[in-house]
Amino acid sequence: MNIPELFKLSGIAIVIIGLAFRLRTTLVVVTAGIVTGLIAGLPLFSGDGVFQGLPLITKPGQEGIINMLGRAFADNRLMILFIITLPAIGLAERYGLQEQAANLVRRMKAATVGRLLVVYQLFRILMGILGIRLSGHPAFVRPLVFPMCLGAAEATARAKTVDSLPAAEIEQIKAANSASENYGNFYGQNLSPVLPGILLVYGVMKGLGYTVNLWSLVLFTTPIVVISVILGAIQFWLLDLKERRRLAAKH
Amino acid sequence: MLANAIVKGVLSLNTVYVLTGLVLLIFAILNFKDRNNKHRHGTALFWLILGLIFIFGSVLPHWVTGLLVLLMVAIDGVGRVGHKRADEVTKSGQVEQKPGSLGNRIFLVVLMIPFVTFGFAIAFRLLGLNTNDGAIVGLGFSGIVAMVVGLGLTRGTVREAFQEGRRLNDAMGSVNILPPLLASLGIIFTASKVGDLIAAGIHKIIPGQNLFLLIIANCVGMALFTMVMGNSFAAFPVIAAGVLVPLIVKPFGVNPALVAIITLTAGSTGTLMTPMAANFNIVPTALLDMRDQYGVIKYQAPFALTILAFHVIVMWLLIRMF
Repeated sequence: MNIPELFKLSGIAIVIIGLAFRLRTTLVVVTAGIVTGLIAGLPLFSGDGVFQGLPLITKPGQEGIINMLGRAFADNRLMILFIITLPAIGLAERYGLQEQAANLVRRMKAATVGRLLVVYQLFRILMGILGIRLSGHPAFVRPLVFPMCLGAAEATARAKTVDSLPAAEIEQIKAANSASENYGNFYGQNLSPVLPGILLVYGVMKGLGYTVNLWSLVLFTTPIVVISVILGAIQFWLLDLKERRRLAAKH
Repeated sequence: MLANAIVKGVLSLNTVYVLTGLVLLIFAILNFKDRNNKHRHGTALFWLILGLIFIFGSVLPHWVTGLLVLLMVAIDGVGRVGHKRADEVTKSGQVEQKPGSLGNRIFLVVLMIPFVTFGFAIAFRLLGLNTNDGAIVGLGFSGIVAMVVGLGLTRGTVREAFQEGRRLNDAMGSVNILPPLLASLGIIFTASKVGDLIAAGIHKIIPGQNLFLLIIANCVGMALFTMVMGNSFAAFPVIAAGVLVPLIVKPFGVNPALVAIITLTAGSTGTLMTPMAANFNIVPTALLDMRDQYGVIKYQAPFALTILAFHVIVMWLLIRMF
């Protein structure tokens, strides 16, 4: 590995630095691609067609960076086909989709904070299977799940003591709420072959020369989803256990 | 025979691309006519170009598409995509909902999307066609079916549907084009042999052909790289080209689907542990008014480390089985 070779990694450095400085992600990604290609000695344009024989920006027999960008983008536009579903989803939202989903969440019956969070994680996975994208933290966790958890926690505590909940415990409940949303969202979304996660894997692997089956991607992610539910349940059960111990210690 | 001809002609990927392109053109027009938005020209142009790429992407010379992509990125780069209200700065994105008595029937509209998608995949399988194409073409048509069902159920108007669709599209903004951009980055990295470079580096640390150690390098590398990037989608093309394919898929001839999807979720474990993924880990602490900005990350870390270990084990076991 010689030094000029290592400069090819500057694209990765550009991504890291660009994202750290919160520059527009699209701009950072494209800049990284072009810089990396140029350092690797790729021409800007392919040497056929309009640019035939042009020095500097073409090289005989090599695909240009801009051509590559266009080809890859066009090939991978299937990843964002979900755009065609937006009018239908928007219409459903206008006529109460979110409100109705919130009703479902409100109807979750669970006596303790931990159990509520397990049910919410499962709800999130169900949404993933159905290919429904939600911005869970602002739309569900903050307005619905967290107040329900507080209610459950108070009910549990008030049975034995009138003291209000200690701040540290509320902090833990808040963290667990966000975690439940993230666990369900991250692992559940790959159960739908039409959400961008699966389509990204499909597109990237195709670019690398391997055509994989969308359904086998879903199949092979299932064990990890099951494990995520079990681990989440253990963590939320520990939260309940801690609370019971605290209440028991008070008496 | 006839069925095959119809499927190949009408129910093709290209038809779906054209339809999606037309939806984007309508979004562009609606944005252009929105006089409240100071950035209406840039925003409209952005979606117009994306619509054109969708419609003509299969026939345009690649260099033209490439330049169009650069133009979109430039418009976004100077901050001209999105909503800047001329009159008011902060208007919450809340939808004004029409009260209705639809109840749970409203779910029928969105349920059409997976239903039609699966239906197409099954139909393509029965016709002996590619089920991948079935799912993708199905997704395209599901949008239309769901809209028709939605219009029937809600008695809303087509105009309403597109206005609401535009609202959702605008809310995501230029982030929408990231997946294909990232896939393109992966392809440029591969052509520049960045992957080979990373692979050679890892081979210096892990000599020989120890599959288990390489799986660890792959999963932990993916998690770490995602933590740095804050986004598993951005990390995946690099790790796939630099580690997964050259060090695991090629030499060991393993099932590429199996290792690829587990590598992606290994990235998700990284997402759980990084402040770079602000939307998931930092914004919620503000929403919930937490004292510790890193409270969510601290809570998620034990889960993430445990499930990362399971990624290694599951990948290794499944390779043995398949």
